[in-house]
Amino acid sequence: MGREVAESCVDTMLMEMVAMYSGRFYANKPELAARRIEAIGYQVGHQLSERYTMERPRFSDHLEAIKFICKDFWSEVFKKQIDNLKTNHRGTFVLQDNKFRWLSRVSIDPSSTSGETEDPSTPGESKAAQAVSMYLYFPCGIIRGVLSNLGIPCAVSADISSLPTCSFVIRVKA
Amino acid sequence: MIVCVAVVGHQNNPLYIQSFTDADDALKLHHIVHCSLDVIEERVNNPKKSGTTLNEAFLGLLYPTVYYKVYGYLTNTKVKFILVTTDLDVRDTDVRTFFRKFHAAYVDAVSNPFHVPGKKITSRTFAQTVSNIVGSYGLN
Repeated sequence: MGREVAESCVDTMLMEMVAMYSGRFYANKPELAARRIEAIGYQVGHQLSERYTMERPRFSDHLEAIKFICKDFWSEVFKKQIDNLKTNHRGTFVLQDNKFRWLSRVSIDPSSTSGETEDPSTPGESKAAQAVSMYLYFPCGIIRGVLSNLGIPCAVSADISSLPTCSFVIRVKA
Repeated sequence: MIVCVAVVGHQNNPLYIQSFTDADDALKLHHIVHCSLDVIEERVNNPKKSGTTLNEAFLGLLYPTVYYKVYGYLTNTKVKFILVTTDLDVRDTDVRTFFRKFHAAYVDAVSNPFHVPGKKITSRTFAQTVSNIVGSYGLN
């Protein structure tokens, strides 16, 4: 049995990782920072998938692998399951988590969200959205790592139009 | 007695091969492991519908040669474990237990952040754990 650490350590490490990569290493290049964080997530997902698929029989198709992510994998990593899974049966899956654990402590500036839902040009809102989006590259990388280790190459992106609900869009590459 | 264990990645690249006898030629054992990869592919792509579960990880006896028996195990991540043994009577439960412990050791070795996925496993701890598992094989 492995040793346990407090969850606040994970939270602190994630915050620090995003701060270091977007503030120090790639200070004015958010694209590169995002790509680097996503690559770290990819390796973590790769390794976690080995551990969490150990006891299970092999998956027969893509949908079973996605269901594994929604139920078992999400419970292991985030202590809850995905709340809603949608698919268009043509390789796109949307995983919706109504209270994403790693964003649960992010404060949303009330002045920028009061009624201005349709105006993307407000600088306050776009900065807040961009700040939060940096925290989502890591979980996107994790999901991509898990799926590619199960033999399903894909692209994963996150959608935070309504916090704290977070949706992950998985596009399987044919 | 187990003579050889091997871990092969999903592109049939060898990740770990270890033989446990000095007498036999290591190359011959590598060759046996290599041939058994074909058998695994066949077994996975043409499942026998007579009772064997379609998606089980443990593949069972792959093929017997004159002196050896070869057992296979395929993980969810398409990594293959191969076991070559010279025992004449092998209990199914023993082999399954072996693969379960081996899988646990493999997962621990791969979770090492310094391990590059796709490259050979160079962890001494893994080699030690595998020797222990091989040593305790069939001792009960």
